[in-house]
Amino acid sequence: MRRYARLYWQYFKTRIKVMMEYRIDFLIGVASVFFTQGTSILFIAIVFQHIDTIHGWTFQQMLFIYAIAMLGRSLEHTFFDNLWTLGWQYIRPGNFDRVLIRPVNPLFQVVAERVQQDGIGSFIIGLIVLFTSAPSLGLEWGAAEILMLIVMVISSGAIYMAVNLFFATLSFWMVDSLPVMYAVQQTSDFARYPMNIFGKGIRFVLTFIIPYGFTAFYPAAWFLEDSGYRHTAVWTPVVAFLSVAIAYLFWKRGLRSFTGTGS
Amino acid sequence: MRKYWEMMKSQIKLDTAYTAWYWAGSASVIFRMLIIYAFWHAVFENRTTVGDMSLQAMITYTMLATLLNNYMSGVGSQLANQVRDGSVAIELMRPYNLLDKLVALDLGSKISGTIRETLPMLLIAYLFLGVSAPASWEAVPMFLLSALLGILIGTQLDLIIGIMAFWLDYVWGLRVLGGAITLFFTGALVPITLFPEWLRVLSGFMPFQSMVFVPVSIYTGQLSGLVALQALGVQLAWLVGIIVVMRTVWSFAIRKVTIFGG
Repeated sequence: MRRYARLYWQYFKTRIKVMMEYRIDFLIGVASVFFTQGTSILFIAIVFQHIDTIHGWTFQQMLFIYAIAMLGRSLEHTFFDNLWTLGWQYIRPGNFDRVLIRPVNPLFQVVAERVQQDGIGSFIIGLIVLFTSAPSLGLEWGAAEILMLIVMVISSGAIYMAVNLFFATLSFWMVDSLPVMYAVQQTSDFARYPMNIFGKGIRFVLTFIIPYGFTAFYPAAWFLEDSGYRHTAVWTPVVAFLSVAIAYLFWKRGLRSFTGTGS
Repeated sequence: MRKYWEMMKSQIKLDTAYTAWYWAGSASVIFRMLIIYAFWHAVFENRTTVGDMSLQAMITYTMLATLLNNYMSGVGSQLANQVRDGSVAIELMRPYNLLDKLVALDLGSKISGTIRETLPMLLIAYLFLGVSAPASWEAVPMFLLSALLGILIGTQLDLIIGIMAFWLDYVWGLRVLGGAITLFFTGALVPITLFPEWLRVLSGFMPFQSMVFVPVSIYTGQLSGLVALQALGVQLAWLVGIIVVMRTVWSFAIRKVTIFGG
């Protein structure tokens, strides 16, 4: 464990050096993610200029759901972004063989080889949105609430990561599963809206199959007194743990059947 | 002209060969349409209009805008990659105009996208999601012309971003940034008529609303008659203006190639 921590620190330092080398790129990257998330906030704000509530949900509550989603996503985006490149940067060009011959956990290497600074953009806007919406939820913010918030955000990030890991693993059989990952990730947008505006089918999928519901709406609902979803919200950390475990076991299974592309 | 025609056809063939991305793209469009459908139904739950638009009009607008917005990215990334790995130098020596080639490839992609993605999605939207027919018969040709102009503007803007690769390393970020800004100011998320006053005025000065808002509003009948014709004129002016800007930037960029010796 200590060895891995030290290794990660080494990887991290090199990444920071690269980042410092390309400062304009850093700014563009952070701004790009910031504005991408910002436009969705602007969208909600414009809609709420014309109405008061959506299916009983207020503007502040909607913002709070967004904030959890953005913070969770920023963790995954910053630290686990390299999973996206497993197919086209590792398996297809034969780089994964290089990873396999080293005496370090292959998944650790793939993850550690990249820190995606762009994620900071969504972290910043997530915090802004959180601080503007949280005070108006009618909740006492004590130590317990803040601790719960941290647990929920980490769980959200873990679920984003686990889903990506699961579908990235398909690359071991199909060389590059990027299109599948992309399509699956699109469904995470559903979770940014209160789940009860969707039909039963969508709700079922996002709760039990691809648990994106637990990346935003459910954890946020824990802080919304009258949401009626607090009993579901409590399961968020458990779902996060199970998702990561299942994804990792699947990864191990994929690793065993990996044969290389011969390139 | 003939060689560009052949390039366009080759791109269509290439697109049909990559089925994984086709299914991924179609799936994500369907997801987005489902979200839009549920979201606006929830918004209209206790009311009949939002900013003088009915639910039916809003669904029609947002679905079409989503489909049209898919056309707004294109070959810019291909150009950026060629700049980055240096193959642009070889491309420049070949007996065609690289920009014209890229536009031809872009159109090829968009034609195959129209047949394989947009039309089936449009059919789904008509049958299941409650999208209504065009406002009138004369709206149809005007919509098609306007959509074409909008798509061409999108191609040019995308190329400008691609050309930035001559100066910047991280064009991916710039593309994401551009995507976020256009997604909003084209009116692909909400009709520009719902924007607050100052934002509406601001978008009037930008080319983006010509890309999605104008064509879709012609379809829904929010823009009709003389106003619609006027909007078409503005679109054309933007297209010409952006082509001039793009070619100018390009001529500066090319000089840079010779500076570092190809």
